[in-house]
Amino acid sequence: MRNVWAETGNYKTDYRQDSSIFATRLEQLSLIGFLLALFLLPLFLSRTQMFVADLIVIYALAVLGLNIITGYAGLINIGQAAFMGVGAYTAALLAPGLPFWLTIPIGGLVAALAGAVVGIPSLRIKHLYLAIATLAFQVIFEWIVGHSPLLKQGGAIPMPRVVFLGYRVGYKNHYYFWYFVALVVLILLAFAFRNLLRTRFGRALVAVRDNDRAADAMGMHPGLTKIFAFALGAFYAGVAGGLYAYFSRAVVIEDYMLPVSIKFLAMAIVGGLGSLPGSFFGPAFLVLLDLNMEDFANWMKRLGLSYAGVDIASAMRPLTFGLVIVLFLVFEPRGLANWWRLVRNYFKNWPFRY
Amino acid sequence: MTYFLQLVISGLVVGSIYALAALGFVLIYKSSRVINFAHGQFIAVGAFVVYALVAYLGVNVWLALLLSLVSTALLGFLVEKLFLKPLVGQPIISVIMVTIGLASLIDGLVHLTPLGGGNFSLPKFLPEGGIAFLGVSVSYPQVLAVFLTAVFLLAFGWFFQRSTLGAAMRAVADDQMAAMSLGVSVEHVFALAWAAAGITAAAAGFIVGTISGINLEGLVAIGLRVFPVVILGGLDSIPGAVIGGIIIGVLENLATGYLDPLVPGGGTSEVFPFLVLLLVLWFKPHGLFGTEEIERV
Repeated sequence: MRNVWAETGNYKTDYRQDSSIFATRLEQLSLIGFLLALFLLPLFLSRTQMFVADLIVIYALAVLGLNIITGYAGLINIGQAAFMGVGAYTAALLAPGLPFWLTIPIGGLVAALAGAVVGIPSLRIKHLYLAIATLAFQVIFEWIVGHSPLLKQGGAIPMPRVVFLGYRVGYKNHYYFWYFVALVVLILLAFAFRNLLRTRFGRALVAVRDNDRAADAMGMHPGLTKIFAFALGAFYAGVAGGLYAYFSRAVVIEDYMLPVSIKFLAMAIVGGLGSLPGSFFGPAFLVLLDLNMEDFANWMKRLGLSYAGVDIASAMRPLTFGLVIVLFLVFEPRGLANWWRLVRNYFKNWPFRY
Repeated sequence: MTYFLQLVISGLVVGSIYALAALGFVLIYKSSRVINFAHGQFIAVGAFVVYALVAYLGVNVWLALLLSLVSTALLGFLVEKLFLKPLVGQPIISVIMVTIGLASLIDGLVHLTPLGGGNFSLPKFLPEGGIAFLGVSVSYPQVLAVFLTAVFLLAFGWFFQRSTLGAAMRAVADDQMAAMSLGVSVEHVFALAWAAAGITAAAAGFIVGTISGINLEGLVAIGLRVFPVVILGGLDSIPGAVIGGIIIGVLENLATGYLDPLVPGGGTSEVFPFLVLLLVLWFKPHGLFGTEEIERV
């Protein structure tokens, strides 16, 4: 008999049950509880802590996009920060005239267009070459921004404070407001993607990743599927970029350069490629690690361990990101999401052993 | 006309650096199908080892070059043994991502030394001036660059065509299974390919050091510039790497010469190779000499 509250094994009897988003009511309930907790979180956090929470939520959105491209479609993307930048700069250019709830989605759409263009070579070549195409896009993006007077050559473009439902968001509640906006957007887009995975397109995505020749034989179009994945992932990045622009109150090229793309890749790998919860664990883990690294560098400086000509803070960042990528790929290629899975499976049967 | 020739000749010099850097990259790709995103960092390590030996320890430049070649060969070897061997059997995409992680890691390690931020230049060891060639003056460091590249290319050419080890490497590149069944140690060949890539990277780094200054960002940028080169030449073709390198080097210099005045801020040479890359990927994805993979369902 299938228990709708707890599931100790696989008791699914038809296809519809298998493709449902939630396996059990308990899962549904715990998710609602968790989301409620996320919405109540600002009550307990100070303004600086909210800054970190905002950062995690916005990065999670970009990493979710990266996960669509790299985790679900199996295409390495070293240009996610550039896609994010496309969204951010679009929002920055439109912001003086349009409200934020229009500029951010438009930024996402423009980024999606860029993603589709970058993905075009996938009509003819396999995934390895595409990694290089994304790298080229990253370089070209940085160059174009650095050379257009319209975009202040990469310098800071200020973003206006927003007015929402007649309510002006000021200094005090800036981070609180954008936390809620980013959180709602993240939840909506995460659900949209989770749902997409159950449809034709989502299943084609995974099929093409696992074996594109077999997928081709089954009547899917590997090239178009990959372009679709690129456009979708870039859309998520573009939306994240728009949010980031408003949240940081200025658009600067440094936030969208190659090291940031590598950071996103590190986040996706740490969280676990091809896993939805992983897209949230990775950013949370690395943002917190990053903050600790800054403290660590300051602490080393105070102890007098730094010497002339060496900036430990600027060394620690690439060092930790690189180390984290390498160690996770070698020792836990499935990332933090795998630990989460193990814990969940343990409690599924708890208190029984099996 | 002299302007054009000047641009072409300095392009040839830059191109020979790219050719050398791309050679190591192609070696790795050919033998193990790994795209090495840490190649620029290898180049940087090679250049910095030379600089550190010469500037801090007062070693002779040529001895320093030799030691640097040995140390980057060792670095390549260790990277293969420590990071890539545990990943055998994993999808190739995780192997490539390890090299991205590695690039970041080496970046951080270099930043921990005083060499990370700043510009350095090797002490002058060549006479001033240069030789005139077709009415264009070529400085001695530039002559040296072309000469060293030619030496390395010939040495590697000899190695692949004549030596047993080179033949084994070609065999692995051609068909791993068949090579294995004939008693070639694939493991050995992979490690060797990484060591050889380290050697060419150090040579490229040294040449950059003699022509212009050494700084981490510039050297890593050369590592990135390798991508247009290998895509143009074909990812798995050694002659392609050389010819692609020279073409990209010349194109880049022509862009600097003729396009820079048209663009506000200039710097077209930074982006031009990547535009070429995208165009090649769209219209001739396997490059000039790459093997086209034909798959049938």
